[in-house]
Formats: sequence, structure tokens, C-alpha cells
Amino acid sequence: MITKQPNLDSVTSINEDGSHYIIHPADVQGIFTFWRRVIGVLLIAVYVALPWIPINGAPAVFFDLVHRKFHFFGLTFLTEDLWLGFFLFSGLGFGLFYATALFGRIWCGAACPYTVFLEHVFRRIERVIDGDCNARRRLEQAPWTGGKIVRRIVKHGIYLLAATAIAHVFVSYFVSLPRLYGYMRQSPLDHVGAFGVMLFLTGALYFCFSWFREQFCIILCPYGRIQSALTDDDTVIIGYDEARGEPRGKANDENSGDCINCLRCVQVCPTGIDIRNGLQMECIGCAACMDACNKIMDKVKRPRGLIRYDSLNGLAGGKRRFLRPRIYLYTGLMILGVGVMALFLSRLKPAKVEINRMPGRPYYLTDTAIRNQFRVVFTTKKSEETEFNVTVKGLPDQATVAGLEGSFTVPPQSEIEKIIFIQVPRKGYQGQFTIDLESLVEPGDFTLRDDIEFLGPSPYILNAEEEQKEAAKKESSHE
Amino acid sequence: MKKNEIVLRDHSYDGIQEYDQKLPNWWLFTFYIMIVWFVVFWVLYYQSPVKIANDYERLDKEIAEINAKKENELKAILATLNDDSLLKMSRDPSHLAAGKAIFETKCFVCHGIDLSATLNGAKLPGLPLNDKEWKYGGKPMQIMETITHGPPKFKPDGTPNPQLGMIAWNNQLSPSQIAEVVAYILSKQPR
Repeated sequence: MITKQPNLDSVTSINEDGSHYIIHPADVQGIFTFWRRVIGVLLIAVYVALPWIPINGAPAVFFDLVHRKFHFFGLTFLTEDLWLGFFLFSGLGFGLFYATALFGRIWCGAACPYTVFLEHVFRRIERVIDGDCNARRRLEQAPWTGGKIVRRIVKHGIYLLAATAIAHVFVSYFVSLPRLYGYMRQSPLDHVGAFGVMLFLTGALYFCFSWFREQFCIILCPYGRIQSALTDDDTVIIGYDEARGEPRGKANDENSGDCINCLRCVQVCPTGIDIRNGLQMECIGCAACMDACNKIMDKVKRPRGLIRYDSLNGLAGGKRRFLRPRIYLYTGLMILGVGVMALFLSRLKPAKVEINRMPGRPYYLTDTAIRNQFRVVFTTKKSEETEFNVTVKGLPDQATVAGLEGSFTVPPQSEIEKIIFIQVPRKGYQGQFTIDLESLVEPGDFTLRDDIEFLGPSPYILNAEEEQKEAAKKESSHE
Repeated sequence: MKKNEIVLRDHSYDGIQEYDQKLPNWWLFTFYIMIVWFVVFWVLYYQSPVKIANDYERLDKEIAEINAKKENELKAILATLNDDSLLKMSRDPSHLAAGKAIFETKCFVCHGIDLSATLNGAKLPGLPLNDKEWKYGGKPMQIMETITHGPPKFKPDGTPNPQLGMIAWNNQLSPSQIAEVVAYILSKQPR
């Protein structure tokens, strides 16, 4: 069976004429593959389970597009909290930078959903139906017989089912489970939008996992493309110990290095590279070549680790350095993002009071008083009835507040609007002042404060006007 | 030159040379798809008599639909309403409770919580609604009309009405809500 020899000048999975060279990675067993599979299965379980686990009356992760509410592990965010996403993503982004600077593309090989679904779902299906790499290669080159057609139909049928299932899992993050179940039992034409999304996703997933595969990681994925800027000679990557391995030779040859040129590392590689050519951008850090090589080393009774996790410096026999300026920088940036998010999360209250001036005139002057009109919106994100107990502070004597009568309840996850006005008699008015609105929120027992300026004319002018009036009154009564 | 050989191009900039390799076919196809898409889009959008609405037109259409729906709703409710039925509503506790709730969130700002248009003795902007005096007509259907569309813009003699105090509430309240407010106001009339 002839397989392509990887080189550094062109991408193995693309033929010279531009067509896609289908890579059939060989089976591999070993400690890294085992743990990778455990992580993959756990991650799939987590992806599927998150919308099913209720926390505080809502799914653990649920982006409720219909009601524009985002439930995230017991916290509920409204669209107005979206700015927190900046810190979430910068924190996560720098966390990824950090992991990359330390361990290279460990994310890609172990935890990326694309790899997880490809390696632990679709490649497993293919392995069961089409057999091992040699059988798959034979089948690919075989003429279209009845048996091959049946196999292909079965394989792609199961692929489509799996893609449909994953698409539904994805949609369940945005549409509640009972609603999704309802959609599934109704005609697709009743919910064209949701059905269209599901159909598009199914198609995209099927295309990616059945045919596109490593092309995405090598060519499309932006994270994959910025790797080279994030790693350096001290980053722990999967590498081949050239000093130990070269020159390659027979296992019983005393003068050759440890590499017996068995090509197992090439056969198991899902992106079709030869790791012995050094660190390459196609490498997704899956560790299959490590397991393959270790097995061979055991067989030829040589120490393991000819291909191992190590830094470029370490592989060259130099000093290994873990802490370096890049790590400090990424740690700092990660802590900044995560820290700011944690700070704001801790201050985020499940209720909100907003006071605004009513549109129109800033204040109203009547014969006896100055009046300001405000619009107050009480919002609760709680899934239970919430009581607001409001007191207005900072008022001068004789001021009256209308529209706010003590405490009232707001239905779960909704808002009510109140129009209030505050009136200060001309006599007690001493100029503009700040009103403090204090709302004690139950349950939860916390206080929300909001303030706004009470506006009015200059008390000097007002008093002068009053005096003038008084004088005019006196004069007229004199006459 | 061998067919499908990797070609290193001759030209060199600062010692940097480049390979001349084929683009992946799937990548090339995305360009072809875009060319086809461009032709289809150009013909459909700019050349064909089929009119595809832009966002503004779509928005205008939707707003027109909403307004038409509102108008129909108003017409339908007005057809069922008359002075007698509004008076009947003003004796129905469930309608009164709904009307009171609306009045005490929207109307009381200007008309006062007790309909007297005063707050602790100070005059509010609105007209008092509990004094048997009706500037724009005191029949239930007339009150309904005043709340729905605001005070008339012209006096009966055709001169402009200078005191356009109240807004038209049909953008904020549905016809049935306005009817409930009318019922509430009627129930508060002195006998």
C-alpha cells in the first residue's frame, strides 16, 4: 500500500493538482490516546448535558433568544449586561494564549469541539464500518461495487444522523428543551427559522466531519494560524529528539540512532505530517505519534520518549525554561480579564432600578410649588416574585413624593414602570438638590441605590419674584 | 518539467523565494461559487423586474401592517362600544380595577391620583376630571375619542386649538385599555 511521503514544501492533504488527499490515520493505542478519549467523552457529555441541568430554575447554560435572557450557571444576564462578554472573552482569549505559550496546541488536540466530535464520534463510526486504515484505503481505491455502495450509504447515513444530533444539541443552547421538542414534532414549515438553522448546521457539520476534516484545522481555523506568534523555543510541544533519533537505521544497527524509520508516527498522524521534520503548523498536538513511537521503542527495547512533550530548547539539549517574560505577560493579561469579570460579576445584582427624568420640561413651576417628574423602571432577573421597598432620601422638608407607595412586587423576570413626581413648595425650596432612591430588594435582602438631580429655578430669582408679588399684593391692599 | 512537480519560482526578494503550488480545489470552488452568486444577485437585484424590498421598505411595510392592525382593532372595538356599554363597564369591578391600574401609572401624573389635577394643593398640568366640566365633550364616547387621539386640533369654529395639552394615547394603550380607563373615569364622576 503506497502512502504519500510528507514533506516540508507542500501540504500532504492537498495533492499537487489541488485535490484533497484523504488521510487515513492508522489505529493507535497508548496512555495519551486513552486520556484524550476520556477527555473527549467527558466533554461530549458536558456539551449535551448543560442545557438539561437546571440551576436556579433555568438550564445551566441557556441563551434564551426568544426572551433575550442569558442563563449562565445560575446567573441570569439581560442584553444590557452584554458588555461583560468583553471581559469573558478577553479572559478566555488570554487564557488560551497562556495555555498556548505553555503547551502549544494542546487545546486543539484534546479539547477543541471540532477535534472532539471528529476524533471520538465520526472517526469511530468510520473505523467500525470501514475497518482499519489499510481497509479504508483499499475501499477508497476499489471500484464501485454493490458492497462498497452499501457501506458508503450506511456510513454517510450514520454521519448524517450524528450531525443532526449535534445540530440539535447546538440549537438546544438557544431554544428551550420543551420548545425544541415541540418543534421536532411539528412540521418544519411551522418553524422555518429554527429548522433552517438546524438544517444548515447539519449540512456544515456533515461536510466538515465527513470530508473537510483536517483542512479546517490547517487552513481555516484562525487560532491555528496565530499559533506561531504565540509559541517560542520554550513552549512545550510535541517534538522529535533529533539528536537521539538520527541517523535513522535498522533496529540492530549499532551505529544508527534510535529511530528505526518505521513510519508509524507518519501513519497515525491525522493531519498527515512527519513529526520528524520538526514543529509544523499542521500539528494539532494530538499526541498520536507519541503513543505510536513509544510502542515501537518498547518493542525494540529502547527508552521511550523519542517523540515527546518537550520544548524546542529541551529537544536540542538546551535548558528548559518554564517561566519567561511571555508567560508573565499572558498571565497578567489573563488575570486582568478574569479579575475584572469576577469583580463585576460579584457586583452584579439580580435586580435593577433605573430613574430617569420624564421627557418634556426639566421642571414645572406652579403657583405654590416646583415639581419634577421621573420615570422609574424596576427590573428583576429573579425567577420568583421580587419585592421592592423604596424610600426616597435627600428631600428637603415639606417635599412630597407621589407615585411610589412603599413596597410593591414585580412578577418574576419582568419589569414594571412607575411614574413618580416630587414636589417642593416654593417656601421650602433652597435650590437644586440630589435625590437618593434607595430600594430594598427581597428576597436577597440587598439595597440598590440610584440618584438623580432635582432641578428647579435659581432660588434667588424665585425669592425675588415672591417678594415682588408680596409687595404688589401689599400695595394693592393699601389702595 | 515533470507534471505536478513542486515549482520554486525563480524570482527572489531579499533571498526569499516562493513556491508555485495549486490552491486547494475546495478553496478555488469558493471563488467560483462567489462568481455564480454575483451573477444571480446582480440579475435578481438590479436587472430583473422582481422587486426585492430593502430594509427600509420592509420596515415601513411592517409598521404599516402594525398600524393597519391597530386601526382594525380600534374599529372592531369601537363597533362594540357605545355610551351605554361604556357606562355598563364603569359598573364592572374587573374593568374598573384594570382601568385604575392604567390610570395610576400613566394618567395620574397630570390628572392627579384623585382626578382633581392637584397634588397637595398644587395645580398639575392636566384638567380636573371630577368636576363635571368637560372641555372636549363629556359623553363616554367623546372621552374615548379624546384619550385615543388627543384633544381636537381645531375648535368647532375652525380656528386652531391653542391648548394641545394631552398626547394621543393610541400609541401606548390599546383600544380596550383606553375603554377601561374611560370606565374608571366614569365611575369616579360625582353624582
